[in-house]
Amino acid sequence: MSREEVFEKLNGVFCEVFDDEDIVIGETTTAEDIEDWDSLEHITLVAAVESEFGVKFSMGQVVTLKNVGEMVDLIMSKLG
Amino acid sequence: MSITSFYFLCFFGIALILYYVIPKKLQWSFLLLFGGAYFLTSTEVTDAGAWYVCIYPLMSVGAVYTAAKVIDRAKEQKIKKTALICAVILCILLLCVLKFFKLPLYAPMGIAFYTLTLLGYLFDVYYEIGPVQTNYAKLLLFGCYFPTMISGPITKYRELEKDLYGGHKFDYRQVSFGMQRMLLGFFKKLVIAERMALVANEVFDHYSDYSGFAIWMGAIAFTFQLYTDFDGCMDIVLGISQCFGIQLPENFNAPFLSVNIQEFWRRWHMTLGTWLKEYLFYPLLRTKFFMELPKKLKEKCGKKRAKQITTFSAMFILWAVIGYWHGGMMTFVIGSGLLHWFYIVSGELLEPVFKKWKAALHITPEQKWFVYFQRLRTFLLVTAGFVFFRSPSVKDAVMFLGQGLKGYSLRFFTDSTVFGLGLDGVELLIALLSLLLFFAVTNLAQKGSVFEWLEKQPVLIRWLILYAALFYVILFGKYGPDFSASEFIYQNFKV
Repeated sequence: MSREEVFEKLNGVFCEVFDDEDIVIGETTTAEDIEDWDSLEHITLVAAVESEFGVKFSMGQVVTLKNVGEMVDLIMSKLG
Repeated sequence: MSITSFYFLCFFGIALILYYVIPKKLQWSFLLLFGGAYFLTSTEVTDAGAWYVCIYPLMSVGAVYTAAKVIDRAKEQKIKKTALICAVILCILLLCVLKFFKLPLYAPMGIAFYTLTLLGYLFDVYYEIGPVQTNYAKLLLFGCYFPTMISGPITKYRELEKDLYGGHKFDYRQVSFGMQRMLLGFFKKLVIAERMALVANEVFDHYSDYSGFAIWMGAIAFTFQLYTDFDGCMDIVLGISQCFGIQLPENFNAPFLSVNIQEFWRRWHMTLGTWLKEYLFYPLLRTKFFMELPKKLKEKCGKKRAKQITTFSAMFILWAVIGYWHGGMMTFVIGSGLLHWFYIVSGELLEPVFKKWKAALHITPEQKWFVYFQRLRTFLLVTAGFVFFRSPSVKDAVMFLGQGLKGYSLRFFTDSTVFGLGLDGVELLIALLSLLLFFAVTNLAQKGSVFEWLEKQPVLIRWLILYAALFYVILFGKYGPDFSASEFIYQNFKV
């Protein structure tokens, strides 16, 4: 899967989790940019990403993810 | 020895000179030695002669040190997990036995803080996001770095490692910023908190004699006392550490500007919030039970409700732990824990109703008056929680709040009742003026560092402000004849 494809698929997950069709994510999108992205939603989001891509994140990765770009890198490294 | 005592300041001054005279390589060992000396002057050791308290931090560090090394070297996940669980149980058990079960044993200074700091390091090693420290003495310095032993902040090894052992050259700017920050802390602690304490003590100790406005004045005074005391303590602690060239994480970010309880906890005691989020809340939500729960509930009550119930139950555990950590008594479990859980849950559940009201009244989130209204509401909710924190029992807290619901009389503002609440006219004026100054500084700090702002002022004005601040604290600071203010409240409650 290319980086663009991961982004596109991930955008769909974001829209579903945050219940907002207008969300457009980018490399530098962080929790600050999306209103409902608090610690609870973070876990929901991670779980949704895991089931969508068929990957599993470790607790350390969940804690240290800084932005969407890093999340994409991580997904790609797991898929690759 | 209290950090607002004269002897501590002398001790600190000498240590600071020695720190920059000795070779950089030895600086961390010196800090460890200095911390040990400071630990031996804590009241548990000097007043009660409980020398054995030194053993506890050594034990906790030993357990975490060994477990981290095992986790790092072991290949099997099972061994890693066993090492982690053993060390966590030992540390938590020590904390609970010494701090929360009322046994006739003394707890060492800072146990509630160093336990979390050390466990955070261990979890990071287990999660493979933090490095391992193979030198026991160095880990001991991290766990028991003396400024943080007083009242936190709870630090992260991966963020502190470089500063702690790296060695520092004397940097005039950093040391002067550090000292200015200490001065700000003394202002909050000695000028404001000590005055607020007089009002709070009077009203809380004789609450059945008061009602209406007087009760709320006492409650609000306690909220300001607690805040300026804890925040002032953090300024002193971070300032001390900055003088040694070691940057500690911030613990407060103007909490009373928060518009809701969630935001309040992102601005109040921030290092505790982050710790609990990363090492308790996230792992809890990632357990099988909490991952499966929304799926099970979904059919019965719909997706949204299922998610809410899951979240609220996990949060219940989180808030009970936060409350318990504050002191192990029901007053803390309610006042700093479950009451806040109740606020958040009812806020979420009533959200649709609030939305309707806001639409009917044409309120938009940008309206200035509405923001102020939300801040005031959050402040009062938090204040009600702190009533539990301050009261000797839950029953007293409820009765105190009951007194606050009755007996309102406008005469409170015209007769002299207000001057009988611990502070006379002049003292009250000083208190109000100091609070205004404090708000001005807080406001300035929202735009950037106050000390960098001061640095940019012309030299004459800069020194004028600094001297004025120094004399203000010396003149109006409330300290006894031996220059020793009462210990920080948070320290008494939790350490």
